[in-house]
Amino acid sequence: MPTTCSSAILRNFVSPFDATVVQLLQAAGAQVVGKSNCDEFGMGSLNTYSIYGPVVNPYQAPTSPESWAVRERRSAGGSSGGSAAAVAAGMCDIALATDTGGSIRLPASYCGVVGLKPSYGIVSRWGVVSYADSLDCVGVLARTAQDVKKAFDVLNVYDDKDPTASRPDVRRRASEAVQKSHWNAEDGLTGLRIGVPQEYFPAELLQSTLTPVRRMLENLASRGAAIIPVSLPSTRFALSAYYVISSAEASSNMARYDGIQFGSYVEPPAGTNKAKTSNVYAYTRAAGFGPEVQRRILLGTYALTADAFDNYFLQAQRVRKLVRADFNRVFSVPNVLFSTPSLPSDAGVHVLLHPSTIRTAPRLPLTANQTRCNNEDTLDAYVQDVLTVPASLAGLPAMSIPAGLGEDGWPVGVSIVGQWGCDDMVLEVGSLCAQLPGC
Amino acid sequence: MLARVRTPRRFKQITRYTRLLHAFCVPQNDSRWPEWNVVIGIEVHAQIKSRSKLFSDTWTSDYTLPPNTRVSPYDAAFPGTLPLLNPRCVELGVRTALALNAKIEPRSAFDRKHYFYADLPAGYQITQYYAPLATSGGLRLENREKYVRIKQIQLEQDTGKSTFDSREGISAIDLNRAGTGLMEIVSEPDLRSPEDAGEYVRTLQALVRSIGSSDGNMEQGSLRCDVNVSVNRHGAPHGTRCEIKNLNSVKFMMVAITSEVRRQIDLLESGRAVAQETRGFNEDKAETYSLRSKEDAPDYRYMPDPNLPPLLIDEAYVEKMRNEMPELPDATRARLQALGLSRRDTDVLMEVDSGREVRFDGEVGRGAVAYFDQISQGRDPKVVVNWITHELLGQLAFRRETFSDNHISAEQLGDLIDIVQQGRLTGYVTPGTSGKTLLRHMLDHCSEEMPSKLAEKFSLLAVSSDDSALERWCAEAIAALPQEADAVRRGNDKVINKIVGRVMKSSRGTANAQAVRAILLKMLQ
Repeated sequence: MPTTCSSAILRNFVSPFDATVVQLLQAAGAQVVGKSNCDEFGMGSLNTYSIYGPVVNPYQAPTSPESWAVRERRSAGGSSGGSAAAVAAGMCDIALATDTGGSIRLPASYCGVVGLKPSYGIVSRWGVVSYADSLDCVGVLARTAQDVKKAFDVLNVYDDKDPTASRPDVRRRASEAVQKSHWNAEDGLTGLRIGVPQEYFPAELLQSTLTPVRRMLENLASRGAAIIPVSLPSTRFALSAYYVISSAEASSNMARYDGIQFGSYVEPPAGTNKAKTSNVYAYTRAAGFGPEVQRRILLGTYALTADAFDNYFLQAQRVRKLVRADFNRVFSVPNVLFSTPSLPSDAGVHVLLHPSTIRTAPRLPLTANQTRCNNEDTLDAYVQDVLTVPASLAGLPAMSIPAGLGEDGWPVGVSIVGQWGCDDMVLEVGSLCAQLPGC
Repeated sequence: MLARVRTPRRFKQITRYTRLLHAFCVPQNDSRWPEWNVVIGIEVHAQIKSRSKLFSDTWTSDYTLPPNTRVSPYDAAFPGTLPLLNPRCVELGVRTALALNAKIEPRSAFDRKHYFYADLPAGYQITQYYAPLATSGGLRLENREKYVRIKQIQLEQDTGKSTFDSREGISAIDLNRAGTGLMEIVSEPDLRSPEDAGEYVRTLQALVRSIGSSDGNMEQGSLRCDVNVSVNRHGAPHGTRCEIKNLNSVKFMMVAITSEVRRQIDLLESGRAVAQETRGFNEDKAETYSLRSKEDAPDYRYMPDPNLPPLLIDEAYVEKMRNEMPELPDATRARLQALGLSRRDTDVLMEVDSGREVRFDGEVGRGAVAYFDQISQGRDPKVVVNWITHELLGQLAFRRETFSDNHISAEQLGDLIDIVQQGRLTGYVTPGTSGKTLLRHMLDHCSEEMPSKLAEKFSLLAVSSDDSALERWCAEAIAALPQEADAVRRGNDKVINKIVGRVMKSSRGTANAQAVRAILLKMLQ
């Protein structure tokens, strides 16, 4: 089966090896039934940048009078829209996906399913086509938190083929830190401290999305959880930092697609001086990459030029540190990657909870031609990621779970975010939340 | 209690180097360009002699292998692959840094250097741009009494090879070399002449070979040089430098520098300026030519590699590397001379030793010095070195062979030296006698048999002086050469050699010449 990343440049590419995550699932008895659509190389938030066309959200609002086939066409979210849609439509029990800045959580929210982006370094990236290596995480989409956990438990192993994989001793230290966190899933919500970051309710957030989130917080409080307002002041810089870092890494990672060793090759027109490398590559890369990938290559290339490097790339790395420090300040569990092991702080929160997206799934343009241009129905796609990128920058586990329906009758998701290595805690809290009425 | 105050060795070295440093800051007049001062800095790229590549477990290649037979998906930059740092390459890098007296950085990191070229499949080379493996070292040049400061040592990937077939109009790409580890060794601009540069590269080459970090083979491209050259009038600040890329022999490098110095002087003397640029070298014309100007210099868009964690090296690791370090050439030379070897014998031995095989992953190959060391255990080092440099190497040279073709073991040669020294074997006094014959025989017939056994087999063991046969041969010789015998009787001792020769002939070389001489003298008294 080809590995195309929904890109023309890999249209016929068949990888000579399997990803570690695929091997692990198959070894555990899973059957691979297919590969799913996505935004080209994971770059996009609506799964509209794909040689296969956009992914149409399989959801249909209960109030909708039409038949399913002619239902309102909305985006499944991106970039892992195909994985989320396949799970939502019942085509498979679980789907693997990657999440660089929200690519699992966003489609999970839009399609009304559960999506986990694990802590960075917990799941092997060997065999995963890189978009931005310092942010890319492999995660799982499923209809229930239990199904996500089943798959995650198989994938949660150290792989020595991945140089960024967390080593066994770090994993052990993280689980020791969690055990000291004074909260046990068996106690239910009692004693659980949930932080609500005030910066996660930006102006772009639609009111209709807010109602189910508010209802969920009330339910949680009435069942014994402590709801604590917290502040993550660097959040407002996170989106810009994310786009600089991810585009810089993308421009670097996309450099290998030149049609020489593998992938599609476009012959330059007759008479081209082939002695010049750029002349040979330009035609392949111009034809092989879609508009969004080209945009990010240009953006990232600029951010890495000698003149811009300090103001863009280094500045973004500084913001990334601030974002991480924000999170470390609010969690009760210490970050075993950065701090010297300290006792859990009683003032901190166990997890954070916030809306996954700023709205419900946006309407798709009616014709395929319109998917390529900015449409009034399509919000500026980059803003879609504003609530998901901070956890990506900090490498934290984050899971989107369905929280009920918005006023338009479409699914709304909330995200549970935990300290690094607290993936199981995030799964447990998510599972408890999913049992609340209205979810 | 008073402790003996000793200047630490390192301190002594530094003071000595400072003096030398000072010496070459003073303008040196070069008769080729008496008014000019030449400033040269060199970047050496030495391929690390590791079994597998820098970031993959693919075996490294050599030029004999068919193209694209040592390539893994990672080496060809297939999507989904990730780099895994080969610890052997780090060891050899650290070993080199220690040999160059450099500071091993406790934290170094890997960066991506981007440019598009067909033999660079990922579109970037992983190198250590922002935080190199080691800094501030130095290399002493023995013959030129100079100390060249080393700015830094970094690890990086080699590229593949592309060859353009102009007749077919196609480029062929071979990725065997792609991803092989390189050490980039950057000198400070401390060199002042083409000859300085030549000795620097030769010394560095000998050094990396001696510690096994690289085979340093310039013809095969495992050691390449980029040279920065500038000129200035004495007393004036340094001039604008030009970089000459990809010089792959010491000879051509020296020619390239000389030609570049002349070009820059010609420009300046005619009132024009030297433009900062990157230049190539045309070996046929012995000229450098412009590759690109400073304005055209590519922006490599260096970025920390997000896949590779920082390389953390602690003191214990460095100490371990230091302890496992093979003997450096300077130390070997000093040790051999302390054994009483002449400078010439030391040079010959070390020159032959420098040609020893450089094995993978820093395993120290056995060369002429190790051979000498083993044989000279319990034997006179001067006698041993004579046998190796004169007899063995001489015979090998005669056979158009080198030391690496020698199959005579240290035990065998030691045994041979013993039977000769103990006078048990005829030879070593007159040419063409048994010891040498035996050595020749051993070279001709590869065998594990000991020389003492062989000598017995071939009746080459010396006939002892009380042997009646010896006296008979002597009497016969005196009878056959009456005039010479008379001359000896009259006191002309020199003539005795002719009679000794006759006896040796009768004995077919088995007689001990000294014993024969003694018997003859006694008979002719």
